[in-house]
Amino acid sequence: MSATLRGLHQSALDVMQHPASEDSVTASFGQFIQGVQPHHLTPTLLHRSKRMVLDSIGVGLLGSTTQVFQLALQHCQHMYAPDDISSVYGRRGTRLSPTLAAFVNGVAAHSMDFDDTWHPATHPSGVVLPALLAVSDMLPNNRKPSGRDFLLAFNVGIEVQGRLMRFSNEAHNIPKRFHPPTVVGTLGSAAACARLLSLERSQCSHALAIAASLSGAPMVNAATQSKPLHIGNAARLGLEAALLASIGLEASPRVLDDNAGVAGFSAFYEDYAPRPLTSPEEEGVRFLLEDQDMGFKRFPAHLGMHWVADAAASVHKLLQGRGQGSQVVGQVQDILLRVPCSKYINRPFPESEHQARHSFQFNACSALLDGEVTVFSFSQEALKRPDLLALLRRVRVEHPHDNPANFDRMYGEVQVTLVGGDVLKGRCDTFYGHWRNPLTNESLRKKFRSNAGAVLPREKVEGLIEAVEGLDRLEDCSLLLAQLQ
Amino acid sequence: MLSRVQRSFRPVSVTLRRLHQSALDVVEHPAPEDSVTASFGRFIQGVQLHHLTSTLLHRSKRMVLDSIGVGLLGSTTHVFQLALQHCQHMYGPDDICSVYGRRGTRLSPTLAAFVNGVAAHSMDFDDTWHPATHPSGAVLPALLAVCDMLPNNSKPSGRDFLLAFNVGIEVQGRLMRFSNEAHNIPKRFHPPTVVGTLGSAAACARLLSLERSQCSHALAIAASLSGAPMANAATQSKPLHIGNAARLGLEAALLASRGLEASPRVLDDTAGVAGFSAFYEDYAPRPLTSPEEELQFLLEDQDIAFKRFPAHLGMHWVADAAASVHKLLLGEQGSEVVGQVQDILLRVPRSKYIDRPFPESEHEARHSFQFNACSALLDGEVTVDSFSQDALQRPDLHTLLGRVHVEHPHDNPANFDRMYGEVQVTLVGGDVLKGRCDTFYGHWRNPLTNESLRKKFRSNAGAVLPREKVEGLIEVVEGLDRLEDCSPLLEQLQ
Repeated sequence: MSATLRGLHQSALDVMQHPASEDSVTASFGQFIQGVQPHHLTPTLLHRSKRMVLDSIGVGLLGSTTQVFQLALQHCQHMYAPDDISSVYGRRGTRLSPTLAAFVNGVAAHSMDFDDTWHPATHPSGVVLPALLAVSDMLPNNRKPSGRDFLLAFNVGIEVQGRLMRFSNEAHNIPKRFHPPTVVGTLGSAAACARLLSLERSQCSHALAIAASLSGAPMVNAATQSKPLHIGNAARLGLEAALLASIGLEASPRVLDDNAGVAGFSAFYEDYAPRPLTSPEEEGVRFLLEDQDMGFKRFPAHLGMHWVADAAASVHKLLQGRGQGSQVVGQVQDILLRVPCSKYINRPFPESEHQARHSFQFNACSALLDGEVTVFSFSQEALKRPDLLALLRRVRVEHPHDNPANFDRMYGEVQVTLVGGDVLKGRCDTFYGHWRNPLTNESLRKKFRSNAGAVLPREKVEGLIEAVEGLDRLEDCSLLLAQLQ
Repeated sequence: MLSRVQRSFRPVSVTLRRLHQSALDVVEHPAPEDSVTASFGRFIQGVQLHHLTSTLLHRSKRMVLDSIGVGLLGSTTHVFQLALQHCQHMYGPDDICSVYGRRGTRLSPTLAAFVNGVAAHSMDFDDTWHPATHPSGAVLPALLAVCDMLPNNSKPSGRDFLLAFNVGIEVQGRLMRFSNEAHNIPKRFHPPTVVGTLGSAAACARLLSLERSQCSHALAIAASLSGAPMANAATQSKPLHIGNAARLGLEAALLASRGLEASPRVLDDTAGVAGFSAFYEDYAPRPLTSPEEELQFLLEDQDIAFKRFPAHLGMHWVADAAASVHKLLLGEQGSEVVGQVQDILLRVPRSKYIDRPFPESEHEARHSFQFNACSALLDGEVTVDSFSQDALQRPDLHTLLGRVHVEHPHDNPANFDRMYGEVQVTLVGGDVLKGRCDTFYGHWRNPLTNESLRKKFRSNAGAVLPREKVEGLIEVVEGLDRLEDCSPLLEQLQ
């Protein structure tokens, strides 16, 4: 629509389309999504978000080997017509309709709980990247986004999630009601896709509102086989919301605002204090990622496991240092874990891989036995190891008052009482990979090579590392898309 | 493609199922068998044809007919067109499931459930139950899609179809009763997106003949796809709430049929970790009676309300009240209403989302006490045409809207079982005319006659289908419980 025409009719349109005032929180988000510019991407943001993109692709590629991914893929292939548009992680020649590709790739990203975690806690990349890749595949060959546009859209999706998490104080602690990726992630995906699709400001707002009606999965489905679908659906349904907004669907123009008597996005929160985003035209647009870095996992389990794993690993070293060989089980009489109180990661005898990834006890004992927790610690055989089960039976858990269920402030302590009476202690305040102690680029690439190498040939693995490293200089992100399968 | 989809759903042999049941039970049921969640799975899988009483058959067939009719009329709306366009452009062409009113247009199963669900709710013309939700639009489109999907030699009988339909309705009703707040017009989540998604999952799980634990998992998977905030009601997106409930419930059942599992305690009250309770303020789940014991469906005791015009149910009270005042006005000084009226007072329940003094869109008008009262005052009735763009902008109507005041009497709760609508018009001369409606015609206390229901259907369906198909549908639905194969129903929807 021509700018002149738009100017002429703006006031009339405003009344019709923006019954909420232009200074609503919702409008500010629409304005941000549409208005933010490539120059807002600082070197820190570029650096950090490229690491997130690389890690997310890697965990997605490894995730394409899981049963739940296979199930999701089969569902899409059987219940919809063939569609040769958007590529599927790690499956050469397999393409799906855009929202379905976003879905299965999102499932892959979260299938092993190996994807990134932020503070306040959510898994931001897996809900955004698969959707953006699907959009990129969808756009015509002569209009693929540049790498910089891609990264900007990615950062928009991350930023929106971070801002929405800050609408509430309860979000700082491990949540009880809704799984955060299904609340903020869906809107993050919608925002990122709205940006990459170049939607108008009001369409960007409507994309968020439409996404709100597709948000919100209860926590009880976490640590079940369905959890990866939470991320897959956030990616898929956020993209869908942006697509519907692009053809003119509208929803509430005040979805993010606090409306007395009728819940909007506040429906998903206990305490809700929304705040507008700074206009991109003003000084002082500062992305949250600039100040709050991401946590990357070293092994595929809930973030909380990483503290006890590092603490238990140090006790393992002490045990080895005592020179009684590697026979751990015979020496250990009692294991005490001092961890935050959180029912959903407190599982004394996990019965599935998913439950094991969400069990303080399992991860502590694995690290005590092996000195580390790895991808293989969760295989069917590893789950049933007699040694492990023997140790699990000797575990007690305490929840010290000074150990909150909060990824910024928690710690993990492992105290092992030996048969002889000696007591060995390990404590971890900040695991390696936490935002306070980030993985080096070398460690991140090592993780990527291990993950991606499980499904891709070496040239593509290295090609992806190179493409992502130079993503902000790529004219056309096809180079990235071409190497994902 | 057709054969691939159909191959996925060959019925599993019953013998095989029984042999392995006990082993499967141990692996699949970590939660005790007496959990609420397990009781729902047992009900969905175990309920039998003989549980369908004649009252249930009668009432549910009326619901099926009405839902098809409003869906057919809904296929003429802009939002339906938008949803259909989205599905046709963003997915590969698929010739499986028919789309209401669009001859030759077919989509993949979940997409057909989606667009037909959007159609059903596109004009707010679909049925309403108590506690308040719109049960049929979330279930029927999904079941029709499943039927289209099943191979030609194993289409369900009409009775199986009706049983699955009633399962979907029953599950919704039971879930609404898990909470006291549900009895009043909701503030947080739009009920069809909470209970409707699980109702659809339950109905589809039944029609797909899933095993007991798969039925439970279908509900659990659906829970992760439930819950849309109320703020999107009275926006253009509202019909998608029903469309998505139908679609995502079907999807949950399909994923469960492939073996996907979610929480076996999703409906139970689990301390510290929210399940389905996440969508409620107060949550008191109760198990369903085992189908082997005495069993009574809610629809037996609590009938449904059908709307006479396409607007939120609350509008029907003020419309009937205003219509009676219109009659009084006509009696007095001819048909010139605007000149006579000085002031209009509405006494209605307090509910922000249907209190709109100057609605600016068709959607808002369907959710405005003021608009519906004034329309009925002017015209003597509210009809489908009361919400057209021209009708919305009538100067007479705007004039009357400017004279409306609203009161919320303490004895008028926001509850479809107990509310009333009063319209008090003060005339220019000083006279005061009053109208009051306690139970509008179409409410469950004063149900539409079969004749009225068919009249509504003919008007709706006739907007898109030729007369033979309209009459054919009436006949097929009337005899649905006697049909060997529900194909005749499917064939006449477009």
